[in-house]
Amino acid sequence: MAKQPDTRPGRFNLRRFLQGEGPEPGPILLTQNRVYILPTRHGVFFGLQLLVMLVAAVNYNNSLAYALTFLLSSLCLVAILHTYRNLLHVQVDVAHIPPVFCGDNLSAPVRLDNTRKGTRYAVGLQFPPQDPSRVDLPGDQCFHAGMSLPTQQRGRHRLGRLTLHTTYPLGLFRAWGHAQFDRHYLVYPRPDDYHPLPVTPSYHLNLSGDRGVGSDDFATLRHYHPGDPLRHVHWKIVARGQGLHIKQFGGDRAEELWLNWDDLPTLDTEARLSRLTRWVMDADTAQFSYGLKLPGSQIPLGHGPAHRHRCLKALALFGANTPDTGTAQTVAA
Amino acid sequence: MKHPPQNLHQRLRRANHPRLWLLAGLALSFIPHLPRLPLLIIAPSVALLVWRLAHELALVALPGRFVRGLLTVLALAITFTAYHTLFGREAGVGLLVVMSCLKLMEMQQPRDITVVVGLGYFVVATVFLFDQSILIGLYMMLVVVVLTTALTAFNRGTAQPPRWLNLRQAGQMLLQAAPIALLLFLLFPRIPGPLWNLPDDSTAAGTGLSDSMSPGKISQLSNNNAVAFRVQFDTKPPPATLRYWRGPVFTYFDSKTWSNPDHQRRPGAPYQQPGFRAAGTATDYTVTLEPHQQRWLFALDLPSRLPLRSTLSREFELISKSPVYQLRRYDMQSYTDYQLDPASPPDQFRYLQLPNNAAPRARQLARQWRNRFANDADIMQQALQYFRQQPFYYTRKPPLMPGDPVDEFLFDRQRGFCEHYASAFVVLMRAARIPARVVTGYLGGETNPLGDYFIVRQSDAHAWAEVWLSGQGWVRVDPTAVIPPSRVEDSQDLQRIAPEAALTLAPPGWATRAWRQLGFGVDNMNHYWNQWIINYNDQQQMALLSGLFSYLGLKNIDWRDMVGVLAGGVTLVLVALALPLLRFRRRRRDAITAIYTRFCRKLARRGLSRNPAEGPQDFALRAILALPGNASAIVDISRRYQQLRYAPRPPTDGLRHFRSAVRRFRP
Repeated sequence: MAKQPDTRPGRFNLRRFLQGEGPEPGPILLTQNRVYILPTRHGVFFGLQLLVMLVAAVNYNNSLAYALTFLLSSLCLVAILHTYRNLLHVQVDVAHIPPVFCGDNLSAPVRLDNTRKGTRYAVGLQFPPQDPSRVDLPGDQCFHAGMSLPTQQRGRHRLGRLTLHTTYPLGLFRAWGHAQFDRHYLVYPRPDDYHPLPVTPSYHLNLSGDRGVGSDDFATLRHYHPGDPLRHVHWKIVARGQGLHIKQFGGDRAEELWLNWDDLPTLDTEARLSRLTRWVMDADTAQFSYGLKLPGSQIPLGHGPAHRHRCLKALALFGANTPDTGTAQTVAA
Repeated sequence: MKHPPQNLHQRLRRANHPRLWLLAGLALSFIPHLPRLPLLIIAPSVALLVWRLAHELALVALPGRFVRGLLTVLALAITFTAYHTLFGREAGVGLLVVMSCLKLMEMQQPRDITVVVGLGYFVVATVFLFDQSILIGLYMMLVVVVLTTALTAFNRGTAQPPRWLNLRQAGQMLLQAAPIALLLFLLFPRIPGPLWNLPDDSTAAGTGLSDSMSPGKISQLSNNNAVAFRVQFDTKPPPATLRYWRGPVFTYFDSKTWSNPDHQRRPGAPYQQPGFRAAGTATDYTVTLEPHQQRWLFALDLPSRLPLRSTLSREFELISKSPVYQLRRYDMQSYTDYQLDPASPPDQFRYLQLPNNAAPRARQLARQWRNRFANDADIMQQALQYFRQQPFYYTRKPPLMPGDPVDEFLFDRQRGFCEHYASAFVVLMRAARIPARVVTGYLGGETNPLGDYFIVRQSDAHAWAEVWLSGQGWVRVDPTAVIPPSRVEDSQDLQRIAPEAALTLAPPGWATRAWRQLGFGVDNMNHYWNQWIINYNDQQQMALLSGLFSYLGLKNIDWRDMVGVLAGGVTLVLVALALPLLRFRRRRRDAITAIYTRFCRKLARRGLSRNPAEGPQDFALRAILALPGNASAIVDISRRYQQLRYAPRPPTDGLRHFRSAVRRFRP
């Protein structure tokens, strides 16, 4: 990724200080130039208290009061190191974020690698402006935290900035580091309330002729793969000791369903997308073979999870004109 | 209650550990204050502490906002009742203790907790305003550890095991802070003197010598072994008979009590100093005076130098500008061989004053002597002769003399201690028209053989007389010293009053000697503690730094150099701490995989290389078929590898055995 000259790591920069690095691919190791530290409110208050103690020590010319003041001041200095250390060299990464429907909370799988032997206590994770969650990172291990994030808008979004922070051990200083991942997530439109599917089954003429409406016929056998429905297992062959085989049915007829943008002229854009989302889900549940017609694009008939995703993605990205969003043709698996 | 009743142990286990640490730290920090706190402060504080503890054990609820407000008003009222003020050292401590206990009542948020820990640290600091002994120092260190542990525990949040983690973390951090604190202690520029005048604490009870003397009123001289001051001589110490440490001088007698009208006055413009003629050589020494809440400073008779922030009265008393609340160290010079004011006759009115009704029999006796002798010196000798020849006894427990103390002592009882003798002697002298005054202070002091210094204790307190003889000036006369040893009740007193006579006594037993030796050891430790820790000041600081710089061949240092050295030192220590703490440990390859790879490499040299997709079991099978001679070793290694990798509970010593098995493997 091309970086601006003023955002080179290692050189102090106010924008970097306030906002962190630009988006970058994971994993991100929180190095010295990514971890910042400043006193907390308690820390400032404590500093003032130390000042009062110093004045008392001077006024009463009291050596042990001096000693106490100096010990506590030194403790603060040491606390800076320990707080800083508590965050330094944490390696953080975010795995693939499964798409969610708008309005649901998405779960960002954050993976924290404590590269050190000792446990790091009370490390806060936060996607501002969400509330932080506090975790202990066990030594020499990876910690997986599912960070819950609300979604408000359909489309493809860049994951927000992840802030790691800690005030351990004394609460007088707060160390923090930002991780901005070049990671996107997809939010499908919010599915509308239930509306019956626009079922106008269209019968597609098969070249092999009509072999009976409503019956799916046996077509062939193939080897079993994990995930195949058990009721399609050819048990007789299993009983003969020839391994697991699956009966494949090839129907010449399926209930075919076109979900068409133009069928909903009374609704506005988002409501149409919402309705179409609902229909895609219902059609998928009903195991229809369905296709999607949107202005300017069309997804041919199909079924299965990948097809469902393809349709939902097209709906999620409808109207978006950034190069990222693309059309239904650029579908990631 | 929802839960079934639990026993205390279960409740304790369930309680919030950080808050228990905090309660413990706060309670421990109060303990040294207990003897100086009035019951009016102690009782509510303990009650509030117990209340909070009971709340932590889920036994009671905390008070609401209204009750808290009421308690706050009550606390202020109680403090004011106890001290009649809310300011000053004593009242301030009382208020701090009550208020920090009160804060416990609303401690819920992390913010409150940090505030309470801060208050705890503050209480520790106030303890030092009263007591800076080694023991208190060590004890307070413990309190700081507990309070820091509480702070760490709060910030860790959860109370998961390991149980002592917070204590360890706090201890480790304090240990790491110690070298920096030491540098700051040694090199942080010390500003001498108070920044503003400290409030006079009238409630503070004085120890040591008081500013009046009433012989006959006290039936028992306290046998207080507390240290009054310690003295380090730079020159040869004077002989025991000359070790008179001058303190307050009394000039006015009201027939019962001796006092000095000057003492009531604030030190103003110094009087015309009396003429002082020194002879012989000067004695140089350093006095380390324990705080006694009064303004006297003590010096060997007769001081020829003034310590800082003090004045000299017309009776040659050293008076500090402010009461001695802290340990005070001053360099002194004295001449034991001197003549004081021989030229000008003293103030008749002041030094011949006697109340008209006082001591008629003593006056009669003095008049007889006056008629018999023309010379003042002869009268003085006659008076001493009187004490020597009449059956006078020295005792620490004289009878009470409620009537006229001087006459009763001189003619009826004839038993008393130094104050009785000095008082009676001065009355006799004044009755004979010889100017005289009572001097109080300390006599003697014992050498600490382990530390080459003298210890002067409260039990060494003494009173003697000074008379003015024309041509000689003020002459010190100690009437107590003329009492023959046979008439001294306590051998300990004999040692002090008549050291030569005491030598004839039987030596003390081994147990006494050992006990005294131990006492000397402890006192020696205290002395160095006082010298190097308690009384470490700007001058010692400069001396230390000059020593360091002259070692490097540098001269002319000032506070800026000191700050420079301090900053450099602190930076060095911090860097030394930070390097291991902040180092990035490049993760080593997983040890188990590394060892297994070594095993595969050994087989590969025999032409058996593992396919990327081949599992350890399949690979082992292939290897056994190829190398049947090594079958058992291959099986063993493969089994160990799988155990380490996949067993839910790998054997504890597994890795070690696995490594040695692979090392021994020779295909």
